[in-house]
Amino acid sequence: MTDLIKLRGVDKYYGDYHALRDINLTIRAGEFFSLLGPSGCGKTTLLRVIAGFEGVSGGTVMISDKDMADVPPNQRPTNMVFQSYAIFPHLSVGENVAFGLRKSGLNKADKASAVEEALSMVGLAGYGKRAAHALSGGQRQRVALARALILKPKVLLLDEPLSALDKKMREHMQVELIRLQRAVGITFILVTHDQEEALVMSDRIAVMFAGEIGQLDDPETLYRRPNSRRVAEFIGKMNFLPGRVTATGDTITLDIAGFGVTDVPAVQAPEGATLGEAAIGIRPETLAILFDGEKASRHEAAAVVDEVVYYGDMTYYDVRVNNVPEPLTIAMKNMIGRPVLDVGAQTRIAWDERAIVVF
Amino acid sequence: MKLRVYAIAYLIFLYAPIILLPIFAFNDATIIAFPLSGFTTEWFAELTQNRALHAAVQNSLIIAVCTAVFATILGLCAARAGAMSDFPGKKGITGFIMLPLVLPEIIVAVALLVILRQVLGLSLGNWTIIMAHVLICTPFSIAILNGAFGALDPSMEEAALDLGESRWSAFRLVTLPLVMPGIISSMLISFTISLDEFIIAFFLTGSNPTMPVYIWGLLRFPKSLPVIMALGTILVALSVILLTIAEIFRRRGVRRAGGTDTGGFL
Ligand SMILES: Nc1ncnc2c1ncn2[C@@H]1O[C@H](COP(=O)(O)OP(=O)(O)OP(=O)(O)O)[C@@H](O)[C@H]1O
Ligand SMILES: [Mg+2]
Repeated sequence: MTDLIKLRGVDKYYGDYHALRDINLTIRAGEFFSLLGPSGCGKTTLLRVIAGFEGVSGGTVMISDKDMADVPPNQRPTNMVFQSYAIFPHLSVGENVAFGLRKSGLNKADKASAVEEALSMVGLAGYGKRAAHALSGGQRQRVALARALILKPKVLLLDEPLSALDKKMREHMQVELIRLQRAVGITFILVTHDQEEALVMSDRIAVMFAGEIGQLDDPETLYRRPNSRRVAEFIGKMNFLPGRVTATGDTITLDIAGFGVTDVPAVQAPEGATLGEAAIGIRPETLAILFDGEKASRHEAAAVVDEVVYYGDMTYYDVRVNNVPEPLTIAMKNMIGRPVLDVGAQTRIAWDERAIVVF
Repeated sequence: MKLRVYAIAYLIFLYAPIILLPIFAFNDATIIAFPLSGFTTEWFAELTQNRALHAAVQNSLIIAVCTAVFATILGLCAARAGAMSDFPGKKGITGFIMLPLVLPEIIVAVALLVILRQVLGLSLGNWTIIMAHVLICTPFSIAILNGAFGALDPSMEEAALDLGESRWSAFRLVTLPLVMPGIISSMLISFTISLDEFIIAFFLTGSNPTMPVYIWGLLRFPKSLPVIMALGTILVALSVILLTIAEIFRRRGVRRAGGTDTGGFL
């Protein structure tokens, strides 16, 4: 894949406020890229910098190896789906979608067929004559997509396009967007604060905190090997246990509170390991409750159930283990013949040193 | 119960004089007093004969139309600047622009008269009244258009820009149609204010009086009182119709831009 967008040392100030701090980022042609981060971390600002709605205070933005410093938004090969969708309420659906073709020089018939094609791409074939202000949220979102895609941009920028939709519609549109992106082959840059959405949809994800990129990786690496505690805490849920590093090198020797001594390879300490105190991260689904007669394949520990949250397909247990200060969360799939334990039940839990991350 | 009595008394106090206008406009007597003596349209007929009145009406219409156009253009610029961009001192400047709304008209009139006649040595005419009327109408225009722009999603214009339009055509194709109801409402209200305005016109009028000034002149002749009543009836009807249309457009504008109504002048 070739590099399409390059940001080098991009800084952005709003007055005294440092909204983007030295952003270095390369986005490849044809990939589904997500900007993920908590509210106010600068996702929208970064997207608007790429679109050209905000100038930069320092650094360069390159698209297809061309410096964008003096290129206004209407001449950039980018199109944007706004968070509010910004559907023009005084125009029909068809006129909205055709809006970007005004300067294209196409004749009426060609425009009409382009509009129809764009509308059917988003599943709204035949909606051209409808009034735009009478659409539902999901339909507006599709019109905004069609309106941007009709121009065949190199990059489609999407600012939290699904956040206004209800859960069912959102999940449906996630799948639709992935399908659409594969079909058109356009680079998508999606802004979201929903980590699940980012994991489901993206080829790569940049996690942002307070104007900086904390980690940029594919979803699996991001989830399994978060490079810092704040990324680990933001993406999914992670238990943290106090522990000590007693030996470093290709393998790291750990003494984990309540779990005892174990060795892990150095890759499981993404920030590097130093002798002394460390935080040991374990995801809830890599721990397991051992029911009657089950044996742990690696290690086990005694525990007492502290809290039970039943989700239907899953049950989340908070359990207390001796010498571990905080309760540990364990996610268990509910299966036939597997009981749901009560609060206060004595049990054993299984853990695996291959699943832990050392910070 | 008591409250209702007050409310009714208040409404009578407020509207009785206006209701008396059409009553006496159709009354067949030159004296404005009860009992009524019979129905006539004579006074309205007399209106159509009066050359001087026609000239005054024509003057007033020219002034009102020019005022409506200029005040609305100024209001449009101010409201747009206020809605779209942040600049240093924005709050202070907005305050100053809205000041004429609460300034006594007599002060504005006297100040303008002094400046135009004494300081600049210019002669008075319709254009001096237009200038003064623009001054007092612009705050109303800004208030109406602020509502229209405030209800407008700022990403609308950005979306047009993003789709390849220039700044000007993005404004023309998207923003302008969306605030058009506000513009029409602003023009109608400015027109009505200018048409009815007396004090400034009285001070700044040249040799050709405006309609309110002409009416004031007629008051010296008791015989012409019923004619004034007839004229007043027409003016009240016209004002009510124009303001109603203006309010309809203002509400439609807020709705079209997707906002919730936060109240207007009516
Ligand atoms: N025009 C502006 N003027 C001043 N500060 C701004 C401006 N736009 C954004 N900011 C500030 O910059 C920071 C980043 O804003 P941004 O909109 O990029 O956040 P975000 O990550 O998109 O958040 P959200 O998830 O809430 O949309 C915020 O603290 C915001 O207050
Ligand atoms: Mg945002």
